[in-house]
Amino acid sequence: MSALVANGLPRRPRLNLGRQRGLIIAVAAFALIIGVLYALTPAGFSYFDFSFMSAGGATMVLAAMGETMVILTGGFDLSAGAVISLVNVVLATHMHETGASQIGWSAAALAIGALAGAFNALFIAVMRLPAIVVTLANMFIVQGVTLLILDQPGGKTPDGLTSFFTGDAIPGALPAPVVVVAVALAIWAVIKNSRLGTGIYAVGSDEEGARASGIRIVAVKFATYVIAGAFYAAGGLFITAQTGSGDPLIGAPILLQVFAATVLGGTRLGGGRGGCLGTAFGAYTLMLTINVLLVLNVPAYYSTVAEGVILILAVLGGSFGHQSRLAEYGAMLRLRWQAWRNGTRPSALARVSRRLALDIDPAAAPRRGDELAGAAWRGWVRRHKETLRYVAPSYAFLVIVIVVTRIVFRAEMSALPYLNSVLVLSSFLAVLGLGQGAVILTGGLDLSLPWTIALCGILLTGTVEGSDQAAAWAVPMVLGVGILVGFVNGVGVAFLGLSPIVMTLAMNGILEGLALVYDNGTPHGWSAPALRWFMTGELGGVAPAVWFLIAFVAAATLLLSRTSFGRRIYAIGNSVRAARLSGVAVGTTLLGVYMLSGFCSALVGVMLTGFNGQAFNGMGDNYLLPSIAVIVVGGTVITGGRGHYLGILGGALLLTALSTALAGTVLPDAVRHIIFGAVVLGAILALREQSA
Amino acid sequence: MSAIRTGLRCSAMALAAAAVFGFAAPDSAAAAEKFKIYLSMSYIGNDWQAEAQRMISAMAASKDYRDKVDLRIQVAGPDARKQIQQINSMVQAGAQAIITFPISPTALNNVVKNACDKKVFVIAYDAEITEPCAYNIHIDQSEAGRVTGEWLVNELHGKGNIVVITGVPGTSVDKFRTAAAKEVFAKNPGIKIIAEVPGMWSQAVAREKLSEILATHSWNDIDGLWMQVGCYTAASMQIEAGIPTDKIKPCAGEAANGHRVQMLPPGAVEGVDNSYKPFGYHSISYGSPPYSGALALKKAVDLLEGKQVPKTIMLPLPLAKTGEMRLCEKGSWEEMKNGCNVFDPKLVPPGWFADIFGPETPEVGFGAALLGQPEE
Repeated sequence: MSALVANGLPRRPRLNLGRQRGLIIAVAAFALIIGVLYALTPAGFSYFDFSFMSAGGATMVLAAMGETMVILTGGFDLSAGAVISLVNVVLATHMHETGASQIGWSAAALAIGALAGAFNALFIAVMRLPAIVVTLANMFIVQGVTLLILDQPGGKTPDGLTSFFTGDAIPGALPAPVVVVAVALAIWAVIKNSRLGTGIYAVGSDEEGARASGIRIVAVKFATYVIAGAFYAAGGLFITAQTGSGDPLIGAPILLQVFAATVLGGTRLGGGRGGCLGTAFGAYTLMLTINVLLVLNVPAYYSTVAEGVILILAVLGGSFGHQSRLAEYGAMLRLRWQAWRNGTRPSALARVSRRLALDIDPAAAPRRGDELAGAAWRGWVRRHKETLRYVAPSYAFLVIVIVVTRIVFRAEMSALPYLNSVLVLSSFLAVLGLGQGAVILTGGLDLSLPWTIALCGILLTGTVEGSDQAAAWAVPMVLGVGILVGFVNGVGVAFLGLSPIVMTLAMNGILEGLALVYDNGTPHGWSAPALRWFMTGELGGVAPAVWFLIAFVAAATLLLSRTSFGRRIYAIGNSVRAARLSGVAVGTTLLGVYMLSGFCSALVGVMLTGFNGQAFNGMGDNYLLPSIAVIVVGGTVITGGRGHYLGILGGALLLTALSTALAGTVLPDAVRHIIFGAVVLGAILALREQSA
Repeated sequence: MSAIRTGLRCSAMALAAAAVFGFAAPDSAAAAEKFKIYLSMSYIGNDWQAEAQRMISAMAASKDYRDKVDLRIQVAGPDARKQIQQINSMVQAGAQAIITFPISPTALNNVVKNACDKKVFVIAYDAEITEPCAYNIHIDQSEAGRVTGEWLVNELHGKGNIVVITGVPGTSVDKFRTAAAKEVFAKNPGIKIIAEVPGMWSQAVAREKLSEILATHSWNDIDGLWMQVGCYTAASMQIEAGIPTDKIKPCAGEAANGHRVQMLPPGAVEGVDNSYKPFGYHSISYGSPPYSGALALKKAVDLLEGKQVPKTIMLPLPLAKTGEMRLCEKGSWEEMKNGCNVFDPKLVPPGWFADIFGPETPEVGFGAALLGQPEE
């Protein structure tokens, strides 16, 4: 290669192709889905089909472009869906028929989005708090405000707005949504080629390097979140025009799809690589799956399975070729095979100790008894200062929440039932927190939790039928199912190189389909009496599950901080490359991490069936966001490498105690959302010192 | 080059996927004379939706309709945008009528208007579409909230502490029910709401939220409950807490079979569990009946056959109080017409919705709701 450069031969085309790989795959997936759709539609596409399809994906294109920019800087933004809802209800309640009102409020909508983005930016860019927690807190607060503005679907926006955004730019030839998307992409092109664009990629690739090159990190990040907020708002504006009305819940389900579109478009989580053009193709690919399902007439229960399979197929292209993860592992296997044949494997080499040996006189070394008792404690604090700093705030806030609860409910509340309830309810999050936490420590994310929980619960009650004897084999069986789910996730992520978000999101859909096919829509059977006793009975004044929780916490803490498996997780989270060069089996460890997460989800499925006595479809749906929240509130960094299980436990206890305190009141739901967001934000503000 | 290869591999896999999922394509000759009707469901991951879907399928398979209707069922998930896209595609695919469980009463208005303009009938069941050209079949949610609220006030003689578990905040159904009930409570100053939490129309969430409430309040402080889903769960929790069945707090709640079995007099039928048994629960049971989708299909055919159908069909509110419960032997439509309204606990899980009797839907009974089989 260097010879080529020396000869002055152009090398750009080849390099570009490698760099554009993500975009090429996104375009190929889009072309393929359009092709399939075209082939299966006997009548072909009319202009109207074209127009509808362009409108259908536009909201997601706009929102996902904002998310893409944030992800390119190495960030993460959970507030996208909430901002879409907020803009939607503001417009539906305020916009009038006059042209001035329509233009004015459309501009105001973008400003609202930018403002929400600025809120994120203030805490993330200026105060350097972890993006995922800030945006999670912001999401709750914005949801609360949305419900305060409009607490049920309603309102109406002018028809002029609808026809402007979803009508024709040139009748019969060019639908307006295509123009909207083109304008958005043009704005992105301008940003990308400006200094800000350079900054976005530089910050995402290597923040320290960018700083050293004189890029103003704070300004770049601030601008990115503000622009992203405006893009979400543009998405909200578009969907408002499309629907002509307001619905406070319209944005929430878009959130995960936005991530999927971004990843599908070839943007890498963690930053630095990708772009908004790919995202646009990714978003349309996702939307068109609905049409493909329709023309194939996929039966209802298989629809989420088909969607999941299409999602995986769309990104699987990236798993092949000589630069892919699969090829990498192939090459490593070949190396190992050669080493085995040549007898040069590490284990085949002579075992000579290469430890550093220091000549220390044992008599001169300090003896235990020399240290003062207080000094030993101080030494421990000094050694664990870093960990304490990010673990402590969640506990401090927990104490505050408990004290406030105690004051508010002085008359009614008694200590033991309170303690029991909080511990039993937090046990679900504490268990999920281990699996999700381990995945997050390696820089991944497990979105397959909800239906792993539900499927395992449904399988359990379906096979146990209320018998303790059956539970003896059925519980290990469903735990095995959970591990198997994790294994498949792990293979996809570790060996096929699929993005964790896409792999686990697709898996969640597939599991949903499997659960519905298994139970035909209605879960049958009962949890075993022993399991019900375990979750709701009494042993020494509290539910047996509380004692289990204590044992689980001890085991989880040891697993993450004292075993080589735990060490490898942190090593991978800090740097995959450094870990691999240090001899960490990265693929195997990742596989183990996802299997652990699958196991924890299955365990929660078992515990929930014990708690409820039965299993329900969708019983895991409410645990996904909290499982992420407890981890970040507990001080774990989403991009991996730092965190402690006791912090995660603190996060689980804090969120459960907070939820418990709010449940005992008659506060409106909107206010609850806002309080929840404020406390999460407060908890990480307390973490600020160590981040700065 | 590698990208091209990648693309080829991709297409091969997609074709394989198409083959796997391609069990579709019914022979078009037979389908030609039938009405082409699409069902657009939103979320399917809960028990009510599954039951409603089975009843619709059973209606399509019943002897009066199997030769008239080519029904295709599609699922959009919880995302309104996807349902918009789906309904558009259905119109493009030549649907003559679309029945739908709308994820939002307002978000679909424009796409529904567009469908109407193309002479496609759109009929929403259970939830509402506010676009005037759409047909709606549902119960009066405000009446449900009012009647159950009044029942609870009477049961408590106008005085007591109550716990309120609502549905999904931000939805019209929840808003109408909760607002109407709270209006009743507000008129009775003796009634005090001590805790109010969204229960998301889920037994699992109801249990979690009740556990949270009980962390700061004891059963002794609570005199009654008004819930959208969860009376069965509330009773189970009191039984677990050792409260004798005759002391269990009155509860206004859903039409789940578990709840209705508990409302039967003690010994009326053998229980299958410590909770799923009759004990004369002081309660009123209401619900959005899952046969509304099946009725929507009938009305779609009526419309396509040129019959007149009112824009809004308000279903009778399925209400049953303690003392009005009657166990079904076989669950045939005839038997339900004669007043049976609860099913043997051995046959269905407690979360299964028991308000399946529709006066206008003799084609669907117990077999339809449980297995998707029409009445013979």
